[in-house]
Amino acid sequence: MRLATSPLRIILWAQWRTLANLRSGESRLARSLASLVGIVWYLLWTAVAAAAAIALARPRRAELALILPWGLMSVFFYWQLAPVITASLGAALDLRRLRMYPVPQDRLFLVEILLRLATSPEMPLVLAGALIGLWRNPAIPFWAPLIALPLYACFNLLLAAGLRGLLERAFTHRRVREIVAFLLVLAVGAPQLLVWGGLGNLGRDLSLRGPSISWPWVSFGRLACGQAGAEDWVLAALWLTAAWLFGRSQFDRSLREDRPETAPAAAVGRGAQIAGVASLLGRLAPDPMAAVLEKELRSLARSPRFRLVFLMGFSFGFLIWAPLARREGSFTEGYPVLVSLYAVLLLSEVLFWNAFGFDRSAAQFWFIAPAAFRNVLVAKNLAGALLAVAEVSVVLLVCWLLRAPLTGLRIIEVYAVAVTLCLYLLAGGNLSSLRFPRPVNPEQSWGRASTGRFQMLVLFLYPLLGAPVGLAYLVRYVSGSETAFFAQLSLAALAGAVFYHASLEYALKLVERRKEQFIQTLLEQGGPVLTR
Amino acid sequence: MHGVPAEPASPAIEVRGLRKLYGDKAAVDGLDLTVPRGCFYGFLGPNGAGKTTTIRMLIGLTTPTAGQIRLLGLPMPERALEIKRRIGLVPEESLLFERLTGGEFLQFAGRMYGLDRATAAARAAELLEFFRLNDSPRKLIAEYSKGMRRRLMMAAALIHRPELFLLDEPFEGVDAVGARIMKDLLLDQVRRGATVFLTSHVLEVVERLCDRVAILNQGRVVLEAAVRDLHSGAESLEDAFVRLVGAGQGLEKPDWL
Repeated sequence: MRLATSPLRIILWAQWRTLANLRSGESRLARSLASLVGIVWYLLWTAVAAAAAIALARPRRAELALILPWGLMSVFFYWQLAPVITASLGAALDLRRLRMYPVPQDRLFLVEILLRLATSPEMPLVLAGALIGLWRNPAIPFWAPLIALPLYACFNLLLAAGLRGLLERAFTHRRVREIVAFLLVLAVGAPQLLVWGGLGNLGRDLSLRGPSISWPWVSFGRLACGQAGAEDWVLAALWLTAAWLFGRSQFDRSLREDRPETAPAAAVGRGAQIAGVASLLGRLAPDPMAAVLEKELRSLARSPRFRLVFLMGFSFGFLIWAPLARREGSFTEGYPVLVSLYAVLLLSEVLFWNAFGFDRSAAQFWFIAPAAFRNVLVAKNLAGALLAVAEVSVVLLVCWLLRAPLTGLRIIEVYAVAVTLCLYLLAGGNLSSLRFPRPVNPEQSWGRASTGRFQMLVLFLYPLLGAPVGLAYLVRYVSGSETAFFAQLSLAALAGAVFYHASLEYALKLVERRKEQFIQTLLEQGGPVLTR
Repeated sequence: MHGVPAEPASPAIEVRGLRKLYGDKAAVDGLDLTVPRGCFYGFLGPNGAGKTTTIRMLIGLTTPTAGQIRLLGLPMPERALEIKRRIGLVPEESLLFERLTGGEFLQFAGRMYGLDRATAAARAAELLEFFRLNDSPRKLIAEYSKGMRRRLMMAAALIHRPELFLLDEPFEGVDAVGARIMKDLLLDQVRRGATVFLTSHVLEVVERLCDRVAILNQGRVVLEAAVRDLHSGAESLEDAFVRLVGAGQGLEKPDWL
């Protein structure tokens, strides 16, 4: 059977219609805001690309041969690791829905490769800037960058497609998924460890001076400078072939895989302990609030997504802040606070900003059950706060094991700061959960728990919501007084409580007004392209 | 089993001039409906007739554009919480929290409907057994099949012994044995005085279970009658349904087919 239209066009049209239909309910203000944030973000990267174009237009060939591989290595790591760092695997074909149609596998693979552009569109932009710069550089043959950089982009696209397929399939096995996800997250923190341990030279050796390995950024960098010998051409061809084979084989395996609609869920092996703790905490409040609280604690504790983030808080958090918080071989006093704040902010994505995301279609239950929505929201908040406090407690325990300085006063400070910040995050989270809900699969170890535009907005919200706590530290810095610090923190907590109360009232009005859109959004399914 | 407490003889469901507009299109267009207490009531209609929208308005999930709703003699949404305590709902979509086990969900639902912990736990265990969901009690709902999910929803709708059941396609995806268990149980509920309001596309099921039926088409009731009256006439329920919802319209087959 011949296809009258290109599958790429059909799939992109279906995806465009899906997104258009999803967004048709949004206000003009929300759409404008999303566009504005996107424009600012890509303007920044356009500036980086322009800087690359200017910087690479001047140097001599010998200098370029030294600096270009570093630049290409940065592009490589951003391209391949951005999905891990942002906890989003990006867009890909939903093969489960598409494989029933008579589309040749080659065409589907091509669409999949092109979708990799959407995962890190910043890097093609930067490579384009580099290409223009090198092309204008009189020291370099004009054809060299025109061949090398597009090939390097292809290499990255193929590798990214393969990695995504591999991760996606690995993550269907619960144990593997959680271990792999955790290791990948730790791997992102590895450069911090290298810096911390004074092992920077090792990285340089591996990337540029390795005696037996020529990394792809070295081979393609030399090609782009027009300085390549025969061995560089061969190596570049080998890297490209390897990436193609890897990408294609992973895609074919994903296509063949007969995965059920709902991946095998977590066993309830630890259910007894979780249920016991949840039941104990549930006695803090009367029903129906206690019932919701227990349900939240049980559900979250069994969600791979939540577990990964909880684990990251006290592992990854220590890694990335270690270089900043170590002075003369020992930890500074502020280290536990720093890691605790990071852990709470990390948790906020799964606990606060989209509190109904994991409920998905079941969120309707909250409107059907004979319980005031206020009780449901407060119980969800209480569960979130309890888990945040639990996270902080684990952070403190790890600090103690690492022999970080922990006095009684410092422990009080850590809890007080975390709880105060939680008040502000809960207040903001209640509004965002009802205004920007998004269905989230709790089975996924990672993936966005809130809408893309809201994630952008959150970047601006964090400093705003953290400002009252920051003010308390400013007071301590200026006055040098612990009393003044705690007095200011108490004021911040009081203001946070007022803010929380006001936002709760507003959220309750909001949900009454937007109930139907709220439920509808949580019921919605995507188009032919998955975004994770 | 105890019967439903006697109350003034207000209908179980009383709807007047109910209307729901989506833009210019009326999903439900001036619906008038009275469902007496203790009745097994079938609410039929073709796809898109407005059945699910009606149920969503009855329970308060969708706000009507116009009209009045009274359930069990109480106005909706003014007395929403009181009404919800006395209703059991099986909606079209899943309302199940996937990271709980079936037993945990039933206990949760029972407590949300006002049962104490012990009663909720005891009833949950009995319902799991009754609906044959206790084979693997540690299994999460995420692993349940569609039929198991429907049975679990039915169990959750029963746990607080409601006076009124609103059931939107409750037998969809349920195997013959499971469907039989559910049907027998619903008939028992009606015998004890509860009211069942059921939507289904399977006319034979409606014909066998229901006392009265209403057929909805394009948001309006086009027939409301006792099932036995239909039987006494020349038409079957299926004949009446096909005639009233406009069979023959738009059935011209494309040339190429």
